Amino acid sequence: MQVLSDTMPMRLEVRRGERIDRRHTLGFTWNSDGYTAFAGDTIVSALAAAGERIFSRSFKLHRPRGLLTASYIDPGCMVQVGDEPNVRGAHRLVESGMTVLPQNAWPTLRFDVKSANQAVGRFLSAGFYYKTFMKPERLWPAYESVLQRFSAGGVVSEGSERGLYDKRYSHPDVVVAGGGPAGMAAAVAAAEAGAAVLLVEEEHELGGHLRWAGPDAVDALGELRAAVAATDGIETMTDSVVTGRYDDNWVAVLQRGLPHVKERLVKARAKTLVAAPGLIERPYVFEGNDIPGVILSTAARRLINMYAVKPGHRAVVFSANADGDAAAADLERAGVEIARLVDARKGEDIVRVSGGKGLRSVECGDGAKIKCDLVVTAVGWTAPTSLTNMSGDRPAYNPRAARFFPSTLPDDVLVTGGIAGDGSLDQLLGHARAVGSEAARRSARIGRRMRASVPHSESEEGREGPADSPVIIPELPISGHPELFMGRTHGVVDYSEDVGSKDLVAAVKEGYDSIELAKRYTTATMGPAQGKLETVNAVAVVAAATGSTIEATGTTVWRPPFNPISLGALAGRIFEPVMLSPMQPWHEGRRAKPLVAGTWIRPDHYGDPAGEVNNVRTNVGLIDVTPLGKFDLRGPDVPKLLNQLYVNKWSKLAVGSVRYGVMCAEDGVVLDDGVTGRLEPNRYMMSTTSSGAAALWEWMENWLQTEHPEWRVHLTPMTSAYASINVAGPKSRELLKRVAEEIDLSPDDFPYMRVRTGRIAGVDGCFVWRIGFTGELGYEIHVPASYGLHVWTTLIELGADLKAQPFGVEAQRILRLEKGHMIIGQDTDGLTGAYGAELGWAVKLDKEDFAGKRELVWQSEHDDYFRLVGLQPADPSEVPPEASQIIEGNKQIAGRITSSRMSPTLGRSICLGFVAPHLGAPGTTVTVQLPDGRRIPATVMPQLAHFDPDGERARG
Amino acid sequence: MAESPAVARSPIAPALPVAVENGWQVSARRSMADLRITDCTPLAKILVLGHEGGAFGVPFGRAERDEDGVLVVGSGPGEWTLFGPSGTAGQLAERVATALLPDDGAVFDLTHGRAAMRITGPAAADVLAKVCAIDLAGEVTPDGAAWRSSVAKVVTDVVRDDRGGQRSYLMHCDRAFGQYLFDALLDAGAEFDIEVDGFAGPGI
Repeated sequence: MQVLSDTMPMRLEVRRGERIDRRHTLGFTWNSDGYTAFAGDTIVSALAAAGERIFSRSFKLHRPRGLLTASYIDPGCMVQVGDEPNVRGAHRLVESGMTVLPQNAWPTLRFDVKSANQAVGRFLSAGFYYKTFMKPERLWPAYESVLQRFSAGGVVSEGSERGLYDKRYSHPDVVVAGGGPAGMAAAVAAAEAGAAVLLVEEEHELGGHLRWAGPDAVDALGELRAAVAATDGIETMTDSVVTGRYDDNWVAVLQRGLPHVKERLVKARAKTLVAAPGLIERPYVFEGNDIPGVILSTAARRLINMYAVKPGHRAVVFSANADGDAAAADLERAGVEIARLVDARKGEDIVRVSGGKGLRSVECGDGAKIKCDLVVTAVGWTAPTSLTNMSGDRPAYNPRAARFFPSTLPDDVLVTGGIAGDGSLDQLLGHARAVGSEAARRSARIGRRMRASVPHSESEEGREGPADSPVIIPELPISGHPELFMGRTHGVVDYSEDVGSKDLVAAVKEGYDSIELAKRYTTATMGPAQGKLETVNAVAVVAAATGSTIEATGTTVWRPPFNPISLGALAGRIFEPVMLSPMQPWHEGRRAKPLVAGTWIRPDHYGDPAGEVNNVRTNVGLIDVTPLGKFDLRGPDVPKLLNQLYVNKWSKLAVGSVRYGVMCAEDGVVLDDGVTGRLEPNRYMMSTTSSGAAALWEWMENWLQTEHPEWRVHLTPMTSAYASINVAGPKSRELLKRVAEEIDLSPDDFPYMRVRTGRIAGVDGCFVWRIGFTGELGYEIHVPASYGLHVWTTLIELGADLKAQPFGVEAQRILRLEKGHMIIGQDTDGLTGAYGAELGWAVKLDKEDFAGKRELVWQSEHDDYFRLVGLQPADPSEVPPEASQIIEGNKQIAGRITSSRMSPTLGRSICLGFVAPHLGAPGTTVTVQLPDGRRIPATVMPQLAHFDPDGERARG
Repeated sequence: MAESPAVARSPIAPALPVAVENGWQVSARRSMADLRITDCTPLAKILVLGHEGGAFGVPFGRAERDEDGVLVVGSGPGEWTLFGPSGTAGQLAERVATALLPDDGAVFDLTHGRAAMRITGPAAADVLAKVCAIDLAGEVTPDGAAWRSSVAKVVTDVVRDDRGGQRSYLMHCDRAFGQYLFDALLDAGAEFDIEVDGFAGPGI
């Protein structure tokens, strides 16, 4: 086989079945040097074609590393591509202009200063950080900066462009994890049986081992791929991986290679899962097994047959099976001199490999030392049982086959391919077809059961499903294989974590003598390969060290994710629902400072909250209070519900009247407050706090549906259905007159705490209640929301001469605090009972029953609870931050500040707060501890209101 | 100058050009794209709370059109939502109220309390599958299926209501989430070249 140009000295001539496209060449850089690739090359196959052998430095000891598997999980091939760290160089396809850099090496890959770690390697054994870098403790910052410099992985730049990630839901009947020959055959059979199939393959194309099995496999590969393409009902995802299987076959699939997003997480609820992950070739543990030039037989065959790359010049092949023999044949056809075929089946062995940055020679078991630049091992297979493990199975070891097999699978998980057994290609395909058909049959049964419970699907009558007798799945033979895990010398077990067999033996000697403990202590199997390459070898080493068997030692438990997954894929699109009032565009136009209030965005202020307060007290202000909770209650039994939920009485509320109400939970804790008005004989409108609206809806429905289904009450939330505008200030009546139709606003006809319905600014279906959270003459207008902006702008326009101005939430908070009006959740907490909140006046204990009554009866008979009081700091310029503690003596907490502001109206600071009962008498001086440590005196006021305590302004 | 007469506005900012139809500010854009999204908030929407098996005969989880073209949706046990042409909410509510027995239920006009939108096109299910976990296969949610679920993290009522042989979903949510949900659907549909199509009466 002749090699090509000087830039690709190791590139072979065209091979049948190769996946590179020689018509398109791509330029890229590696280590700042320019290289050429063909379309379809991975980064590592292109570099290997150019004769490169070292691609990284190992995690801890900084040993030079080359390729080992030439696949996604190759531990020596993690590189940095542009801004992206930890790219799998043996999987990522070259793109034109790519900038590729090594990781974990400084200053260069060839001359890595940190390889000095090898000199002190004995001090860096597994678990060294449990024993070193601890004393003296004052040096920890120094230790930390040293350790950081030696930490592995690529570089994340703060200026990196943020990638787009998203998610998608899917409901396939059958998910087939693995697109090799067995997976393809199972997918086709399942789809032909009527199932909707999702076929997921980690590599860039379907085919599994047929892609590199040589020219003889090309036809079979083509037929299977054509069958998949031609069969309806199969959705195929390549360059994608099933990352986890969760309860009830909730399957997470990481999809890559999409044009518009970096990665997509597909959340699939599969009725059945077919695991067809193939087999992963296992490395052999011996001295020097990580020197660049030591590769697996599958790596050699991938390089030769897929990428037309000659892996070396002179090779020693260590083979224990037919695949190793086939690799030797492929190497010969590629022009590699086979210096020796070491046959493990004849008891032959290799002892150690010598070399530094490149392999120089290998010592065989008979003492012969052979010069070569390539060692290829074929010592057996590991079944990647992760997905079946996640399905609840604990795999069982078969010593005759020298590998683990799934043992007990749930009804909705099946396996096929190498993980199930061995045999010829025909046998494997036959098994896979039967599994696919059976998976479809089970899916159909599960689907019928699910649809029968769904109210809106069509009737199952007359729907034919596949035959109900189970499909007979033929047994696959299980071939014998020598048990080969570790040779005569110690070597690397976990390439990613730089953990050797010596480390595992030492861990066992230190008492970490179970595989679970040894894993966690040494970190073996915890690297990017997630145990696929190293678990069984680790188990074998631990078993030998403990004098046990592999069977008895068992494996660790595989947990999701199957492959490392980016945080971006887990996050997906960030969904942060936002609620907006109809007047929001107006607020934004006036550059209102936004306030995030739960899911609502509200105007906090328009530039001058103190000025807004003054305008409300002097002229007229408008505030958008649309987020106020609102409920429309209908039916003759509404008063029963109100009496049950509120602490006060409702039976005699007249049409047109409004009453303030307090709700308590069953433990007497204040739940919510608001006003409820009676609009018609059997129609009430309830208002609640904005933050409590959702919970109150559930609370009311719970009472109606479970406690009193006999009550004739229907209710629905109307929070967003009405745009709500509070018009407040001495001139509010004047302003309202200019827009209200059919509503008599005279004080006699529309006194305080009444509700009227009519037209506002030409809009029908409005209601207005006269209440006063701000303490001023005020009206709360509720307009069908679609007309909210119209009414708001009309009020502003018609009120110009009255100095009608908007005011925001901050001004409202100040206004209500001046009036001593509490905010539930701010001035109350999860322990505040009605009496403690100074709401005892509202509690009517002579009602037969209401939520919280029992507890409130008890409260009324005791007085040892903290009380809500008005407070004014002695220094009127001092505004204690909310939640400042009130203390007694030096350390005793005797209360806290719940609300605190500077009052523009009074020109001084004002507060509400809780104080211990013995400190609640008006005139008492309490001590407030500020967060900066200072303590200031404050006086308990005679009432909660700091301004207009008799409420004359609101009732005018 | 204050508007006269008053114009109703959807929570969803209309795509240009803007027109007024039946007292509603709407988008007058016309799209010929394969995948389209329309703000249907101007539709009359009536909520009926009653008892299961009530006057409508439309079961929970299904949607059907009556002889006048009004879409009647069994949106919950003892709960129906009716969609009619823009401007007909009053008539619809009255018609429903007279059909109910005394004390049998209650009728609420939710025209202004719900934002409604419709996605139509061969990729409509693909868009919805990015934001809604419900199985959209024909066997599970066929034409006429109605359900309430999370769409882009917002509680949303969805009706599969195919139009002209094309897959179509009519959705509605609390009005205040309207702009957010519309934007989330546009975002999800971007890969399928979704376009905004304006509202044209009767719209249902």
